[in-house]
Amino acid sequence: MKQLLLTRLLSVAPMLLLVSLFAFLLVHATATDPVAQILGQGASAADRAEYARKLGLDRPLAEQFLAWLGNALRGDFGVSLYTSLPVAESIRERVGVTLSLALAGMAFAVCCGLPLGIAGALRQGERADRLLNVLVSIGLAVPSMWLALLLSLAFAVTLRWFQVVGYTPFAESPLEWARALVLPSIALGVHAAAVIARQTRSAMIEALHSRYVQALRSRGLTRRRIVLGYAVRNALVPVLSVIAIQMSVIVGVSFVIERIFAIPGLGTLLIDSVVRADYPILQGTVVAIACFVLLVNLAVDIAYGLVNPRVRAD
Amino acid sequence: MKRLLQPVPLVCLAWLALLAALALGAGAIAPHDPHLPAIKHRLASPGALYWLGTDDLGRDTLSRLIFGARTALLASFESVGIGLAAGVSLGLAAGYLGGWWDRVAMRLADVMQSIPALLLALALIGVLGKGLANAMVAVGVIFAVSFLRITRAVVLAEREQLYVDAARVLGLRPFAILLRQILPNIAAPLIVQASIALGTALLIEAMLSFLGVGAESNEVSWGAMLDTARQFQSQQPLLPVFPGLAITFSVLAFNLLGDVLRDAMMPAGTAHPRAATLAPAAPADTPPPPAAEDALLAVRDLTVAAPGGAELLSGVSFHLRRGETLGLVGESGCGKSITAAAIMGLLPAGVGVASGSIRLGGAELVGLPESELRRVRGKRAGMVFQEPVAALSPVHTVGRQLVDAVRAHEGKTGRLSGRAARERAAELLAMVGVPDPRRRLDDYPHQFSGGMAQRVVIAGALACEPELLIADEPTTALDVTIQAQVLDLLMDLRERLSMSVLLITHDLGVVADACDRLAVMYAGQIVETGTVEAAFARPRHPYTAALLAAMPRGEGSGTALATIPGRVPPAWDWPAGCRFHPRCAHALPGCAAAPVALADGVRCRRSGELHLQGTA
Amino acid sequence: MSAPLLSVENLSVDFHLKRGWLARSLTLSAVRGVSFAIEPGRTFGLVGESGSGKSTIGRAILRLAEPSAGRILFDGADIAAGGRRTPLAYRRDVQVVFQDPLSSLNPRQSVGTTIAQAIRRHRRSSGAALEKEIAGVLDSVGLATWQAKRHPHELSGGQRQRVAIARALAVRPRLIVCDEPVSALDVSTQSQVINLLVDLQRERGLSYLFIAHNLDVVRHISHSIGVLYLGRLVEVGPAARVYGAPAHPYTRMLLASTLVADPRVQAERSRARRTLPRSEPPSPLAPPPGCAFHTRCAWADETCRGGAPAFCARGGDRLVACHRLEEIERCAH
Repeated sequence: MKQLLLTRLLSVAPMLLLVSLFAFLLVHATATDPVAQILGQGASAADRAEYARKLGLDRPLAEQFLAWLGNALRGDFGVSLYTSLPVAESIRERVGVTLSLALAGMAFAVCCGLPLGIAGALRQGERADRLLNVLVSIGLAVPSMWLALLLSLAFAVTLRWFQVVGYTPFAESPLEWARALVLPSIALGVHAAAVIARQTRSAMIEALHSRYVQALRSRGLTRRRIVLGYAVRNALVPVLSVIAIQMSVIVGVSFVIERIFAIPGLGTLLIDSVVRADYPILQGTVVAIACFVLLVNLAVDIAYGLVNPRVRAD
Repeated sequence: MKRLLQPVPLVCLAWLALLAALALGAGAIAPHDPHLPAIKHRLASPGALYWLGTDDLGRDTLSRLIFGARTALLASFESVGIGLAAGVSLGLAAGYLGGWWDRVAMRLADVMQSIPALLLALALIGVLGKGLANAMVAVGVIFAVSFLRITRAVVLAEREQLYVDAARVLGLRPFAILLRQILPNIAAPLIVQASIALGTALLIEAMLSFLGVGAESNEVSWGAMLDTARQFQSQQPLLPVFPGLAITFSVLAFNLLGDVLRDAMMPAGTAHPRAATLAPAAPADTPPPPAAEDALLAVRDLTVAAPGGAELLSGVSFHLRRGETLGLVGESGCGKSITAAAIMGLLPAGVGVASGSIRLGGAELVGLPESELRRVRGKRAGMVFQEPVAALSPVHTVGRQLVDAVRAHEGKTGRLSGRAARERAAELLAMVGVPDPRRRLDDYPHQFSGGMAQRVVIAGALACEPELLIADEPTTALDVTIQAQVLDLLMDLRERLSMSVLLITHDLGVVADACDRLAVMYAGQIVETGTVEAAFARPRHPYTAALLAAMPRGEGSGTALATIPGRVPPAWDWPAGCRFHPRCAHALPGCAAAPVALADGVRCRRSGELHLQGTA
Repeated sequence: MSAPLLSVENLSVDFHLKRGWLARSLTLSAVRGVSFAIEPGRTFGLVGESGSGKSTIGRAILRLAEPSAGRILFDGADIAAGGRRTPLAYRRDVQVVFQDPLSSLNPRQSVGTTIAQAIRRHRRSSGAALEKEIAGVLDSVGLATWQAKRHPHELSGGQRQRVAIARALAVRPRLIVCDEPVSALDVSTQSQVINLLVDLQRERGLSYLFIAHNLDVVRHISHSIGVLYLGRLVEVGPAARVYGAPAHPYTRMLLASTLVADPRVQAERSRARRTLPRSEPPSPLAPPPGCAFHTRCAWADETCRGGAPAFCARGGDRLVACHRLEEIERCAH
């Protein structure tokens, strides 16, 4: 187990390096010239060269990358080309919001998807299972932003159970924070819940038809014990990988959900930076989010090792 | 392709065809100009002029939906096309070339996957500039990664297949192997995945346009319509309804189509059982087999039927005395394992006992409710399986599985303490000859060799000291020397625990080694029963004799082995009359005429006149 | 005794098992210093349990596995002479029949396509002539011409194995490596396939390398037998002698463990095997030092733990690798 932890931790480092390289090259492969972008068309050639030198753009690419990486390691992603605020500062302000939203969405997805998938497998082929399959198909197809609009229309605008827009930090009022997250996290989690339910159902069905379940039955164990004690844990192995992938999807979709509920997360920052070609922000956000996804994957890997002894042994 | 003609895929195809038609003929079909503002009609509800209402600028919702279909489909096909082209070629290269190519490709794929798809798309748009075409290139890149993974996985899996080795041995060129042997196998999963990717692309296009970085203002996108709806839904609540429905239905159609394709392209091979041609009922076995006084297990006239009505077992009768080992022999497909499952009450879903009786120690098992059967399983009858490692849960320790077996039958009173149960589990392991039992309780099944795992399975079956042990091919998957050890263990335990053993096997050597009596099964019936000595020395049914003669027995290759022509027919196609007659060397025309009854331990009309060769 | 068609000299095959990014890779010595020869028209049987390296030897001969030492001569020429490329002539001369006929046939190709592909790689043939050739090959393995249109999943296990044999025969080979060709089959089908292989050998003068775990089956079809244990040959000799009077303790154990369908003979074998020590085979990843069999051998002493035994001749053409052969023989008499 220790070795697993160590190898996984160590393998995160090269991945991060590659992500950083990707984020760096992303901008430098661009056709748009940041200098022209900032100074506008009217700037003289001398002004441009001067500005390029100030940004370090005249140096060789490898040198630029190392300099950028060195700064990034110290938490310095440069300053926004528009607001001139430090990128790290802007990200730090918003990252907690995005994490709250993403984790709440995932919590909803897991809490719905796992039990539904298990229930479907236990009632395979029955009416409840067919209904679940229909719901899963719909859950996979409904666009999250539409769901968010409908939820907000129904529960915030019409019934007034929740605020239509806005966000309260956890530190200010945990209750308000939770209330503000209810609708967004449902809108965010439905798709992932459908994916998880579907994977859980098929993994459970496979487990229930396995030879070892037959052997457990032949030893006279109760169905309850077989399902809860054995089948679920076996089914969890493939479901965990799906949860890891869905985490990344949820972070992405959270940008859309933010816009609907006016939640000040990374999404707004990012979309503004895309529209304005504010590349330091773009780079910083990509690296920050990749970091988060890699950490989640690491956590899932470790959970995977806890569930699956074969991974642990190697 | 029959599956595509079911209602669900037909509706999906119809919807997609409608979308395609709308996209192609948008200009001609749309009732209004989708871009033309009509401020006085802004935010109109559905009516005669504007069937689905208008948006904040008074533009016709229906027309915008129709033009939106064009954007959606174009974007989906563009990104999936890019993804397929890049992903499949890279995947083929990575999978087939292997080595560094593969490692680099997979690292890159890992990096791409650690960045959420939508973020990657936003980043690439930031670089390439706004606009739908650029957005969909970005999405294409994301799909390329997933197509790369699928292609590579299939190539790697197929490369290990023996038929690829055979092709290499034939001298086929690597490129020819890749193209003609491997590529066709990738087509099916790719088509399925592409169908689902089309749906995903549609969703991503909608999201990007919703965020204002996808479709330009001169293009119409369902996602952008939703963004408008977001701003004005408090004034016109119907605004989000139609674009949302359009997206949902389209994604649903692509997804469901993918599911149907997946099912349709499952590798063939699962034969569909046809309706059984019902053979006329066999006459009653004469005289009825004696229900021996000392029989622990007595199976009488057991008939088991599959959902289509096919009889998997037809009138099976045999008994097992206390302390005896009975070998149930026959080729695969003769119904041996179904017999075992019927006794244990573990028949697969849909398969059921149609008639007959199974008595264990005098108590009838047929018709018992599940809760009563559970009390029989493990407590009165234990079972051992063919693949020992598969019969143990891979993610639980052996100790946990044995402790649960020990505790399966304890009542409300007299519960064992955790420590006592564990102690008992260790005793069981010691009993079946697993060295260092206490320590090994904490090991997982994959840490046991096949032979040791089989010992663990035996320990689990014996946890509550059943009187009957059913062993279904317990040594078939094991190595020769280990097979002998496991058989010795079973025989030893039978004596020590005074159990009876029903040993199911296709190997007559196992029967010769371990059994007192045997029952030979063919095509769902017992064809011969008797003591092992007698049946091997002088078989009375031609099938028994043919099985014995087919075994090589140490002669050189000068002597041809006896063979049985043909194969065991499937259960829905049992031959009329004597079920063995089509393969029997001694069959006469009369054998096909009427079913044969089991008389005096043999089911053959000619048993009186035939003098069959045994092994002795 | 004619010149051997194939000779394997001191063959060793190692596999390097990767264990993650950081862990050191493990070396699995699947085959260690194996030598034997196959004469034209004869069958050499290789017996051993799982992990004995028997299939790896077959794969090395087929050039599907890379030897780490030793060489393989076919017709007196080193098959690795051309480097990584294998001459087409060798591909024509040496063919294979695998254990699992379902995975050894491409599920998407019909029987006819599979065989046509084999023929056309080595000879120009098309149209009616090709059809006729396919029909001829199918006929020689007991399949009907119309079965050329069938796909593997539409055939029974025995029929699939016949198709695999037909594919090998189609290029007119001289040696066929049969890797457990009957172990996945039912008893009745098994005897059909064995008879077919024997008949084909008689008609066409084929040579076989017959790899199996069942000593009875190997005895039935082979002229000579080699017994493998953890990658090493422990006994080689004429089939009748190895089977009839096994010399090496492992061969004895193997024979005593092989079950026969004759209660009286089997009772004797059972008695013999119950006197043997009961133990698990060691992992091929960590073979015991010295004679690899010493952990399971009733005769083992210090010499056996010390060094690997060399082959010594036992009556003409039989070779046995055992330190304590003389003591064992003395006791047996």
